[in-house]
Amino acid sequence: MFLQRTTGELAEPLTGRRWDRETVLRQVSSRVAHLQKRGMKSGDLVFVHYGNRIEFFADLLAIWNCGGCAVPIDARLTPFEIETLAGAANPRFSIHIGELDPALAGALANAGVELVDSIEAGKTPHASLPPLSNFELDQDALILFTSGSTGDPKGVVHTHRSLRARWITLQQSLGVEKYRRTLCLLPTHFGHGLICNCLYPWLSGCDLFVLPAFSADVAMRLGRILDEHDITFMSSVPSVWRLALKAARPPERGSLERVFCGSAPLTAHLWGQIREWTGTRDVCNSYGITETGSWVAGTTVGDFEPEDGLVGVPWGSVIQIMKEGGTEYPPGFGEECPADTPGYVWLNTPALMKGYLGREDLTRQVVSQGWFMTGDIGAKDERGWLYLRGRERDEINKGGTKVYPSDIDAVAERFPGVNDVCCFAVEDALYGQNVGLAVALEGDDAQVRELYGWLKRHLADHQMPMRMHRVTEIPRTSRGKINRAEVAKSCANSEPLDLRSILRSGS
Amino acid sequence: MSRSLHQKELIEFLHSIQRPDAPLGEIDEHAHLVDSGLIDSLAMIEIIGFLESRHGIDFAETGVDPDELGSVSHILDLIEAHSG
Repeated sequence: MFLQRTTGELAEPLTGRRWDRETVLRQVSSRVAHLQKRGMKSGDLVFVHYGNRIEFFADLLAIWNCGGCAVPIDARLTPFEIETLAGAANPRFSIHIGELDPALAGALANAGVELVDSIEAGKTPHASLPPLSNFELDQDALILFTSGSTGDPKGVVHTHRSLRARWITLQQSLGVEKYRRTLCLLPTHFGHGLICNCLYPWLSGCDLFVLPAFSADVAMRLGRILDEHDITFMSSVPSVWRLALKAARPPERGSLERVFCGSAPLTAHLWGQIREWTGTRDVCNSYGITETGSWVAGTTVGDFEPEDGLVGVPWGSVIQIMKEGGTEYPPGFGEECPADTPGYVWLNTPALMKGYLGREDLTRQVVSQGWFMTGDIGAKDERGWLYLRGRERDEINKGGTKVYPSDIDAVAERFPGVNDVCCFAVEDALYGQNVGLAVALEGDDAQVRELYGWLKRHLADHQMPMRMHRVTEIPRTSRGKINRAEVAKSCANSEPLDLRSILRSGS
Repeated sequence: MSRSLHQKELIEFLHSIQRPDAPLGEIDEHAHLVDSGLIDSLAMIEIIGFLESRHGIDFAETGVDPDELGSVSHILDLIEAHSG
């Protein structure tokens, strides 16, 4: 599991807590003893229902040491969504910290999931330190749910083999020297934050400094945190950078050696500002997808001038731009685009996921002949550098957090009186994109209030529509499909509901 | 301008960025804007923009202490300190 035979240290800059390597091993050992006492078996799935704390990493290693598969869960999800995910994954345990919301505890109990308190588990006496290598390479190691929390969950399954392939190819492409004191301010329940920002350096023996995710407090203190902990590497997303650049004083000690920015489009202008603020020219746009173990390419190309859409060169992967996006025409079977001509981005990497949990049908829609169809539109120049030009994927990128319109549709259409619904992306100065909803709804404002309350009960805050439009019908294609871009365009020309007034008038 | 006028203007601005269902009108001026669910964490950037453009406060050199922007009351203190 370890790429340098040991982990690094763990620290939380905001709380001052720190675990050295020995403490990490002791904490893992206690948790292994606890899980074994509770009857955990090889192959068991375990929800980890919290993140961005040092205990998270001890829980993760303990699960792997018991032969289990870890399923980090976004703590912002509603009990309804957790129950939906539990129904799809059938976990044996769910690990949490502190008091659990009674509705959530009830939902997990209904799904037959046993609860484990991480802090209590960390106090379990243990005989000796385990070797931390008690797993088979092709066992499932990690499941990351990317969408479907309200209906048909899509869980990306990575094995120990695919994860190890990602970390080893990153070592070969990036080295580990610049990552020796790595800061994480991304969520630990998704690929970018967990697999690459945290586990790649930490399992390579680098020290990891863990902060709350997407926190304004952290962004505003960023310069000071970088200085106080001599941080050499960090990764983030454009929306956090916009706040940090505006509100945080720049670091003064010059410790940063490399900075990544990913998960959302990075403009040349913002790129330049980040370079200036951080004091290093080694600011890379990183491109990654959960299905490929996140980072697969970036701007490690020596000195360069930032450009809109520039990604750079592949890391442990082969990138091909194809004229066709369908899985019947993967590279080798379809026509490749010439240099500088946009087409569909396909990837080949040993870090490719095993597949989507229990959804072979969905896996076949994106994987063909060992190639992964990213859903992104891009081009390669004569040098082989990748430029992204757009996305064909049906998702809303809210400041690096992905929201899937079908998840919102699935909840809204179940509300009585909703005749049709379409969730779509709206432009947002802060996040880049935000969530819009067009709804054909019977009734008056009271019904709008009821619908909003229904959405609040079933959707996490980041999934809630910030703009709603009442429409008489949702336009569809001749094949009956919704064209979300068309709906968005039509709504852009109409006044949205004044939600504040409507919601206030009912209180 | 008096504190109450600053407060009126600030509340009006916060109305424009608050979450649709947040009960801003009823909030205690000492309540934490983010923790109480009134605004998204990263929407702090909009408050900073408001303070820069409306009150000429420049955060570029010194940065912002997050506590100074935590509540309506703290923001008013900051405005007063700057104008004083």
